[in-house]
Amino acid sequence: MSKKTQSSQTEIIVTGFGGQGIILAGRILGTSASLGDKKESTLVQAYGPESRGGACNAQVIISDSPIHYPYVDKPKILVAMSQAGYDKFAPTLDPDSILLIDQDLVSLEHAVCDHYAIPSTRMAENLGNKMMANIIMLGFCTAITQAVSSEAVQATIARSVPKGSEERNIEAFTKGFDYGLSTLKGREKRAIGRTGAVLQ
Amino acid sequence: MNDHINDSSLNILLFLCNWGAHTAFLTLQDQRQPIPDEIRMVRTPCTGRIDRAMLLKAFAKGADGVALVGCEPGTCRYGSGTATSKRNTQDVQQTLDIMGLGGERLRFAGFLPEQSGELLAFLQEFTAEVKALGPAGTRTVPATPPMDMDQHRQALRQLVADHDIHACQDCGKCSSACPLSLIGKPFSPRAIASAVITGGIHAPGVRENVWSCLTCGLCYDRCPSAVNFPAFIKELRHIYRQADLPDQEVHGGFFHSLMRSMSSGAVTPRRWDRLPEEIRVDPDSTTLFFGGCAPYYDIFFGKHSDSQTNRILLDSLRLLNFFDVVPRVLPDERCCGHDLLWSGDRENFLRLARLNVEQLHNLGIETVITTCPECYMTLHTTYGEQGLTPRFRVIHLYDFLEEQIDKNAVGFKSLDRAITFQDSCRLGRLEGRADLPRKLLKRLRPAKFEEMKESAGASICCGNCAWTGCDSYSKALQVKRLEQAHATGSDLLVTACPKCQIHLKCAMEDPFRREQLQIELMDLTSVIAQTIHWEG
Repeated sequence: MSKKTQSSQTEIIVTGFGGQGIILAGRILGTSASLGDKKESTLVQAYGPESRGGACNAQVIISDSPIHYPYVDKPKILVAMSQAGYDKFAPTLDPDSILLIDQDLVSLEHAVCDHYAIPSTRMAENLGNKMMANIIMLGFCTAITQAVSSEAVQATIARSVPKGSEERNIEAFTKGFDYGLSTLKGREKRAIGRTGAVLQ
Repeated sequence: MNDHINDSSLNILLFLCNWGAHTAFLTLQDQRQPIPDEIRMVRTPCTGRIDRAMLLKAFAKGADGVALVGCEPGTCRYGSGTATSKRNTQDVQQTLDIMGLGGERLRFAGFLPEQSGELLAFLQEFTAEVKALGPAGTRTVPATPPMDMDQHRQALRQLVADHDIHACQDCGKCSSACPLSLIGKPFSPRAIASAVITGGIHAPGVRENVWSCLTCGLCYDRCPSAVNFPAFIKELRHIYRQADLPDQEVHGGFFHSLMRSMSSGAVTPRRWDRLPEEIRVDPDSTTLFFGGCAPYYDIFFGKHSDSQTNRILLDSLRLLNFFDVVPRVLPDERCCGHDLLWSGDRENFLRLARLNVEQLHNLGIETVITTCPECYMTLHTTYGEQGLTPRFRVIHLYDFLEEQIDKNAVGFKSLDRAITFQDSCRLGRLEGRADLPRKLLKRLRPAKFEEMKESAGASICCGNCAWTGCDSYSKALQVKRLEQAHATGSDLLVTACPKCQIHLKCAMEDPFRREQLQIELMDLTSVIAQTIHWEG
């Protein structure tokens, strides 16, 4: 297999259970990059038994130049929404990869790279629909990785979700996006040693 | 000496001890020594009996300086008078400093009977100092003189009509819910209602009941005819105050004097002088943090108990900073006026309210955040009801926190305490927001959280409101509440109002039951500030 790792190319794997909307999340990512941000993108989605309940995945490549090979061997970004998915792709991670997980669904053991966690399924339940966990994760991913622009994703979401649920999905996206921004802020605070409200 | 100040307009009050110092003063008078004209002498049995409330009242009533002249240490006839005076003077000086009048307007000195020369020198020097400071500037509105009977009857009829008192079905649900009735006090809301209808409001029992009412709103909650009893009591107290001078202010009226003094535009408080260094404030922000009266409480109640209500305000600012909100604070912040209005002094309340609203408008404040439930209710709701038109948004700190915590990647450290919660009547019932602190409580990670027997909408009061009508039944009520807190097996009672802390702490001082009643108190704001942290 040839390796086409260019600096302008972002390779993403989104993984989880079938039914979580993993493929949809991947498709929104790729569509946003190409239609919204005017970049090149590809999507390879896992067909087969996985997509009917097992671990499934979507492989997305976003690039400034034409993409010659759509499969992802070593993801720059791994979004894991199930333990099985994480276990499957964890060995492909590099120290400079970025790992995003649903903290209630994935427990990490010796992550080789930087990782960011969000309780996306719990947040979706609080919003009233567990099915929106993928959209929340998409918001989180957008804020943390900046692989795509927030405006582009919002526009794509509005086109991709069932009629009538656009507003609620945008709300879910915003929720994940804000959580992502504040996670980054929390890191900065941690770096300067001020994580609490009261001086210890 | 001073040609720009009209000297004779200054009032300097001299409280003079009957014993040593008075002899010295008599000598001055006998020898026709030049005692400054501004000095008005009040002879007292012992300066130790001039308590802090009286000292502050002197300023509220227009004194520009107060001298407390007693005996040299060790020569007090009663032993402790001099020490007490010094302590009182110190407390009131601190209070005057924050109020902006300046602690230097109050002075204590002790003299032996033969020290008339020294006394004269002291009086002259003090007078010169007060002259240099100029007039204190406190001008308050006195109670309106007695109304004639027709006016009085008309006012009562209006009150009955405004609050739809005739809708009272005399069913007694109010009495069966009222915390005061339940604790055994001969107190009946509906009896007050019928007294007002029949015009018999000056019967001793009725009057006493009106001033004892907690205005906690439980009866309003239960009333099938929805008679707004707290609002009715508030107006009725105003009628009482117009009819005669009430003597229902507890703590000697210390806090009422404080608030009345602040209703003078010429007084410029010096609040927030000593903020801890790590707290960030921004003098240009359009978001204001309105603190409230906690620093005054800590000075006053520090004498009896370890009052730490100012910590609530500091922790509020820390929490705002935690979420990168750097608010403005008003160096000359005044009281919101809640207690004046709820103890019948609508005139001075309105003066305060107008000053506050005008100031916030002039400064272009858009959002006011406050953590005190009384300030919140007063700024958020009462100002509008009383005819003012505030153009700023008022939000409770809990609202701000709930929104931020919901949105942000923050978590809470586990808290190794079993906790229970005392509702604030203003936030929980009068504003109907009992769910708000509970949302935050649910986010905390204590060892255990258990509600007291009566909680949320049915919660009972901490025992007092607006610094009126404290008696043995208030104490019984507080004891009952503390017993309920203990019954939950908690070791930390979380509160939401500085006054709940003060009142419940006071009940714990009982020397015979201290062991059974003692429980640590902490405000919800402080609990959150202690445990919140950024994830990531």
